[in-house]
Order: sequence, then structure tokens, then C-alpha cells
Amino acid sequence: MSSGNWSRRGFIKGATIAASGPILARGTMAKQQTGSSQNSSGEVPSGEVPKRPLGRTGVQVSAMGLGGYHIGSADTDKEAMEIVARAVDHGVNFFDNAWEYHDGLSEERIGKALKGKRQQAFVMTKVCTHGRDKNLAMRMLEQSLRRLQTDHLDLWQIHEVIYDNDPELIFAPNGAAEALLQARQQGKVRFVGFTGHKDPDIHLKMLAHDFPFDTIQMPLNCCDATFRSFETHVLPEANRRGLAVLGMKSLGGSGELVRHGAVTPHDGLRYAMSLPVATTISGVDSVEVLNQNLAVAVNFQPLDDTAMQRLRDQCRSVASDGRNELFKMTTKYDGKIGREQHHFPNPQELPL
Amino acid sequence: MPLASTGSIPLRNFGRTDVKISALGFGGHHLGEAPDEKTAVELIHQAVDGGITFYDNCWEYRRGKTEVWMGAGLKGLRKRVFLMTKTCPHGRDASLALRMLEESLNRLQTDYLDLWQVHGMAFENDPDLFIRPNGAAEALTRAKKDGKVRFVGFTGHQNPKVHLGMLNTGFPFDSVQMPLNAFDANFRSFEQQVLPELNKRGIAALGMKPLNGHGDAIKAGVITAEEALRYAMSLPVATTITGIDTKEVLEQNLQIAQNFTPMSEPEMTALRERCKRDSADGRFELYKLSLKYDNPESRMAHGFPLDTQQIEVKDMLGVEQNTGHPFPEKQF
Repeated sequence: MSSGNWSRRGFIKGATIAASGPILARGTMAKQQTGSSQNSSGEVPSGEVPKRPLGRTGVQVSAMGLGGYHIGSADTDKEAMEIVARAVDHGVNFFDNAWEYHDGLSEERIGKALKGKRQQAFVMTKVCTHGRDKNLAMRMLEQSLRRLQTDHLDLWQIHEVIYDNDPELIFAPNGAAEALLQARQQGKVRFVGFTGHKDPDIHLKMLAHDFPFDTIQMPLNCCDATFRSFETHVLPEANRRGLAVLGMKSLGGSGELVRHGAVTPHDGLRYAMSLPVATTISGVDSVEVLNQNLAVAVNFQPLDDTAMQRLRDQCRSVASDGRNELFKMTTKYDGKIGREQHHFPNPQELPL
Repeated sequence: MPLASTGSIPLRNFGRTDVKISALGFGGHHLGEAPDEKTAVELIHQAVDGGITFYDNCWEYRRGKTEVWMGAGLKGLRKRVFLMTKTCPHGRDASLALRMLEESLNRLQTDYLDLWQVHGMAFENDPDLFIRPNGAAEALTRAKKDGKVRFVGFTGHQNPKVHLGMLNTGFPFDSVQMPLNAFDANFRSFEQQVLPELNKRGIAALGMKPLNGHGDAIKAGVITAEEALRYAMSLPVATTITGIDTKEVLEQNLQIAQNFTPMSEPEMTALRERCKRDSADGRFELYKLSLKYDNPESRMAHGFPLDTQQIEVKDMLGVEQNTGHPFPEKQF
């Protein structure tokens, strides 16, 4: 499948980086209100990113995960290899990916970078049926395994569950849910889950099916806390069910929280990582950005309740129109393939 | 089907009161699209004759023009209708809301409103701003006590959760207005989440956007205007407010409303199913989805930025030729 130009991905590319680099360097744009003793200058301390249990699976994963999309955005293969090697050196073992990222480049790069290190790594990728059937899902799985140069995945998730009819399509006879079970039974994947960035109600609808998911991925950041909140509505339910929660979009997807002055990158990431989650997946497309993240994640100390509440309060008013979480509000973060497969028109054709 | 220029539309109770209103309501916003005041006045006269008794308006619609025109149209007919308008403090103080009320009464040429609603609850912090000391809630209570308004309520089109947040403030609302249509039924649904709660509490439910705001789904051929309007009117609501800007639209609406028979439950289910796939990404309900449908006045009152380079905001600013100046700097 050739997906030509992904407008949302094009938008994301660079924005995260361009935004967080210089703003982090200035450091004073949003007030440092957390009284953090951790360094926010971007220097990486010696030590490791701590490990946490992945739900009830018995597996330990690093509290920060490496986002797969941005590995495909790195300028060269060489830089991508460096990022992965350096991350592994600092104790990162969780690697995110998706079948559709960069037409397979993200998976290929991770496959190459983890060569000889597969045993140390927890490899996840996502299947992109977008409502289509089990057989397609299984074909995507074979392709992902080949690109990742492995015979099994640690975690396989259904990608981008964001439309109101997705739960129905996924749990239809011969739908993607059946593929998850089959792949697990065949030993090709150890654990299964799903992801989505749109609407807590859709996540809850998925959970209501009582399917044996091991993981659930969702946006978690200090604006989400008070706006159409996954933290309020989904996180407690996932914890109650013993699912491992994978946080994402800790700075709004493209650094919106930072660019709009809601929070510093340091505090934003620290907030997300302090929630009751197994890991926080963060996109990294240069060694420089990796270092910024590691400065927070190595020897990570969670914020206390008071500091968390202060950040929620600080963000509350800027959170309440959704401009910092456009993935909940607009089609900007919705993949083109997913829209096509749902028979929805391209965002360019919408009066948005 | 016969179209009676003097006819009747089914009447329904306004919530738990004995007050009767027509099952179809005249939306005030579109009245401003009439070419001139004379045409607008004629439309109102024809609507009253055709049996519409419920008249919707809002302080900020077209900088007051629609209230002025409606006031002219209802001259001498005031006793025959149920007149509503909305106040637009957007989180600001009770005193501002009350000043807007005086302006509205003046423009509408009346000394009381049948219903006064707080306009456009859209943002996550709106319930807090409404109920805070000196917030709009106090204005509603005051206006009712002073006999300037008979009933009070609120409106919004963004998010059922915000409506529920408003209900959870505990304020004794008489009415709540929300989008209700066959697409809403399966997408961030007011019908599923808010309507049952209103009926349980005996609050009058006022439906709006029966044609999804701008009739995009009708233009796309997913649903006909008649199906859409009949669906909305068949829900357990006191009235369905629809925008009327031309004689043709008025006559079409009168025809459907005068001959109205509710859809059966299987018919409604079938229509919901037909609209389901096209509901799921919200593109026919952009008012729930896009910043474009945010009210710029409200964004400014909330202290939200208007990024004028953003396409949504460019469109948003164009919607009503808004000057971008917040009340009260703008002179009428």
C-alpha cells in the first residue's frame, strides 16, 4: 500500500523538535513551578531510566518508551541507529512502532538497530486494519515481523481507534480482535492492546467488550487532565482492570503545550511520567531530543500530588478549549489510510 | 399535501409547566439572512399565521439585527407567541448579562421574555464560570425574580459533557437547548447522554440543528430535509428550532410541521443506522468538532487566543463578519 503524503505526519515532523529544542534552552517561558530538583538543562545524568511492571504481564519496561514514528523522521539511518543505541545504553527497553509509519521505514530502522539486542528490548508494533478484517491484520503482522527482523512481537496493538464505530468494526466477526487472539495463540505476539488519541468514550467502549487486552495506549498530559480527559475517565478504569497503560502525547503531539506556554518540556514530560502508567512513549528524531528526554527520565523521580495538582491548575484555563490537544479536536492527527478505510473524505475536502 | 397559510402546528408542553409551545420553533439566527427588514417582518407574520409560536433569538446574533427585526415582526403579536432570547456573558459577570437583557428587551420591543437562556456553553470550564459568585447564574435568578423573564435555561452545541456539567451545578434550569438530529444519535450524542437526563428532571428539551447546522448531509444525499426534520421532531423534546431565512424554507418547514406525524421507533432506528457510518468522524457535525465553530466573542471573553493564521479561525472570523472587538468596546 502506498500512502503518499501524510499531512498529519508532515505536520508533526519537525514541530516537536523545533518547538522543544529552543524553548527548553530558554527554560523560563513557562514558570518552573514544580520545585524540581532534577536538572532541566538537557544534561544526561549517569544512571538508567527506571523499569516498571507492564500491567499484570510480569514483564518490566522502561518508564520512558521510544516513539516509533519519529525514528522514521530522523535524517539518516545512522542517526536513527545512534538514537536507539544510546537509548538502550540508558536503560530504555520499550520500542513503539506501527505498520504504517513511513511506509515501513520506522519498523525497518528499529529492526536494524536492535540487531543483536532483541533480547534486551520490548518490541511493540501496531496493526492498521482500520476496520478491515482479520486476514489483512495477519498479513500486516507477517510484514511487521520481517521488517523488525524478529519471529515474535512483545506487544501488538490495534492502531488508531478513533472513530465512533471502530469498536463495532473491531469486534465484528472476522474483525481485528480475532487476529489478536490468533496471533497470540500462534506465539507470534506475547501481549495485545489498542491505541487511540480521540475520545475517552471510544476507549471505554472498547473496554466494555471485556476482551483480554494487556495494554491500552492513550494521550496523557497536564492539559488532558481537565479536557475530555483520558486521565479522569480511562486511566482509573484501565488500572482497575489491571491493564498496562501506555501514555503518549505528553506535550500535546507537536509540542503545543510548550509552544502555547502552558508548561515547560521538562515539567510536561515529568507530569506524564508521574501518572500511574507503565511507560510514557515519546517521539525522538535526533540525539539532541533524546538527551532532553533522558535528562528527565534517567533516575526519574515522580512529582508529588501537590505538584501534580499545581500543574493541572496551571494548565486548566488554557486546556479548556482544546487548542493544546488538537488530536481530540480536529482531523489534523488522523491518519489518511484510516480515513480512507472508513470511507471518510480527506480532511482537505472538509470545510474545516 | 395542503399548505395552510393559516394553520396549526402540534403544541407541546414546555417541560413540566402547562405552557404550550409549537413543536417547531423559528430560529432567529437565519432571520438575519433575509435581504431586508421588510422581508424579515413578512416572514415572521407568515410564521405566526402558520402556527409557529416559539421564537428563538440571541443578543449577539448579527450584532443585534435579528432581535430588532424580530421585534418589528412581532409588533402587535407579542401575546400570541413564546419569545426566547439568549444572553452572552461567556463566563463574565452577572451585571453584564443583565445589561444585555435590557438591550434585548429594548430591541425586541417587549417588557418581558418568556425564556432567557445563557448562550453557547462550549468550553470545559463554562459550568464553573457560570455558577461562580457573581456569574451568569445570579443574573438568571435576578431576572426571573424581577419578572423580566418567565423561564431560564442554557444552550450549547459542542459537547454533551459540558451540558451535564451545567446540570450538575444544581441550578434550577427550566430548559436546555442542544443539537438533536439523526447524526448526533451516534456521535458524542446529546440524544443519548443529555436528553434522557432532561426528561427525567422535567426540564424542557429544545432541539436545534435538525439539519446539522448547514444541511451538509442533505446536500451530500445521505438524508432528506423531511426525514431529518421529522426525526428531530419525533424525539421527546418540547420544540425543534430550525433556521428560517426565506419564504421557501418557511413553507417547506410549515408543510412538514403542520402535517407532522411522529416517526415510529423502527423508522427512527433505521434512519440512525443509515446515518451511522457517516456520523462516526463527526464531519456532518462540525460544531462538535472544529474550532471553526467556536464563537470568537466567546473565545475572547474566555481569554483564548485567536490565531488569525489558523484556517479554522480565519473561517470562524468570517462567519458573521465579526470585527474581533469584544463587548463592550464595540458600539452598536
